[in-house]
Amino acid sequence: MSEKIYALLLRLYPSHFREAYGDAALQLFRDRAHDERGFFPKLRLWLDLLADLAISVPREYRHVRQAFAATSAPRRLAGAPWLFVLEDESLRPRALFFGGVLTLLALAGFSMAINHVGSYAANVAVWPGQPASRVSPARPRVAKPSHFESGWRSVLQRMGMFLPQARHPKPPERTAAMNSAAGEAMKLDAAERQLVIDGAIANLKAHYVDPNVAQKVAEALRAHQNNGDDNAAADGSAFADLLTRQMRDVSHDMHLMMVYSQEKIPDRRPEPTPEEFARYRKAMEQNNCTFETVKILPHNIGYLKLNSFPDPSVCQSGATTAMASLNQADAVIFDLRDNSGGEPKMVALIAAYLFDHPEYWFNPREETTRQSWTSSPVPGNKLADKPVFILTSSSTFSGAEQFSYDLKMLKRATLVGETTRGGAHAGAFHRIDDHFGMGIPETRAINPFSTVDWEGVGVEPDVKVKAADALQTAEKLAENKLRKK
Amino acid sequence: MPKRKLDPLPSAAFQILLSLAGEDLHGYGIMRQVAEQTGGRMRLGPGTLYSSIQSLVEEKFIAEVDAREDAKLGHERRRYYRLTSAGRKLARAEADRLAGWLRVARAKKILRGDYV
Repeated sequence: MSEKIYALLLRLYPSHFREAYGDAALQLFRDRAHDERGFFPKLRLWLDLLADLAISVPREYRHVRQAFAATSAPRRLAGAPWLFVLEDESLRPRALFFGGVLTLLALAGFSMAINHVGSYAANVAVWPGQPASRVSPARPRVAKPSHFESGWRSVLQRMGMFLPQARHPKPPERTAAMNSAAGEAMKLDAAERQLVIDGAIANLKAHYVDPNVAQKVAEALRAHQNNGDDNAAADGSAFADLLTRQMRDVSHDMHLMMVYSQEKIPDRRPEPTPEEFARYRKAMEQNNCTFETVKILPHNIGYLKLNSFPDPSVCQSGATTAMASLNQADAVIFDLRDNSGGEPKMVALIAAYLFDHPEYWFNPREETTRQSWTSSPVPGNKLADKPVFILTSSSTFSGAEQFSYDLKMLKRATLVGETTRGGAHAGAFHRIDDHFGMGIPETRAINPFSTVDWEGVGVEPDVKVKAADALQTAEKLAENKLRKK
Repeated sequence: MPKRKLDPLPSAAFQILLSLAGEDLHGYGIMRQVAEQTGGRMRLGPGTLYSSIQSLVEEKFIAEVDAREDAKLGHERRRYYRLTSAGRKLARAEADRLAGWLRVARAKKILRGDYV
């Protein structure tokens, strides 16, 4: 046993020493251990050994370093870089293997982190926002934003209910995936490049949130073009990636992007046809506007399971009815575990019931305006001072996260469950031509709570439990709270 | 290799040279001999011992001779070391140097008698 320990300690020495004298040192240890028996001699032996290690190990390494310094001095004069390692034995295969695995893991983690930051397109695709009314006609638009800005459309998309493919090509899931998905690479000529860059610059100047940065990005794009940097891009997807990089290098804004689509991008925002609108209305009626459950639990706790925040133009009465039926409750539990967002207006509409005065309602995708306050108090409403609990899961998303985040930050609700999925930002999509378009963040909302919102990280619950246990936990918390009153 | 640990000669190296003055010894033999000749004051640990041996071998003050068994310690083969003439000269020079200090000490009345 003690010999094994000493063998391990011997590994502290540099390899050249171990090779030359490791066995002999071990032999000496055996001899001493054999001769020096009994407690005190053993103790003295180990004290000797430790003192010996403390003195001789640093000395051996110092010697190695001095030797390197001496031999490397003339080489340094030659000017070429020269590396030395303290260990002169070659690496073990196992060490090489673990090193390789570790490197791969680090690389994978890094690229995931990069993708996470650049998930703008994914959010544009699923977050409904950008109501058409917000688009000011005074703004010179090169192209109208594409279809996937409409809120209720995306709700239907999520429910798999419509979108004839011919008219509505799938929105870009993610730049890289999308740009590289172009199997038949589109031929790029100078004229097309010129058109795309001109379009990008015009859109930036017209819509980008910070005109100074827009100017800088435009200048950079132009400079790259004049330098001939763009000529290397062989096809549309490579060109889009290149422009995205050029824009981000200057702006450091990961939500700014150029997108290439192999499918033709519709040349104007397709207004919902009456037929589509009727289908949406019907779907909402059949689903009770996604107010899945509205009931009163024991101890007079109101429970509302809401699976989206539907368009108020269709579902306002549904929402009002649901909130009215909870009006007599002593506490309210909002179950948003299956809620993937929807119309910001509906989010604000429901939140209005929880305050007795207009409260600043932060929405990271909307410019801060007079409409950014809740329309509280709601006449006849009694819920403004009742305890509120929100159940969250890892699929709680977008508008549902806004609801959770704002109420948490305002200390108006207790969040119970899991960290939410993390989708906050969106920008408008601007078509440049049949195959190119760009995403531009246009808003700078004032976040009164923190410098960061939940983009990419999700909203942390106040009480962390599995989503499946969230209701039970929230009920207990509500009961306790009511009992104290 | 540059000249390294032997200038000035460390006492461990000096003791090793002295221990080999009489006969060839293996590492453990050197250790015991050194302990004996220093009255138990110097017990060389394996690291110090072999690092000193390495330096002395490199500078050719001692030489490794054919490995063999030590009948008293079992059947393991052991590496034996022998003092070279250069090593003997070095040990003598070191002893002279120390003797010079002794003379100084005596002249200063720090050390009395004709001891050494």
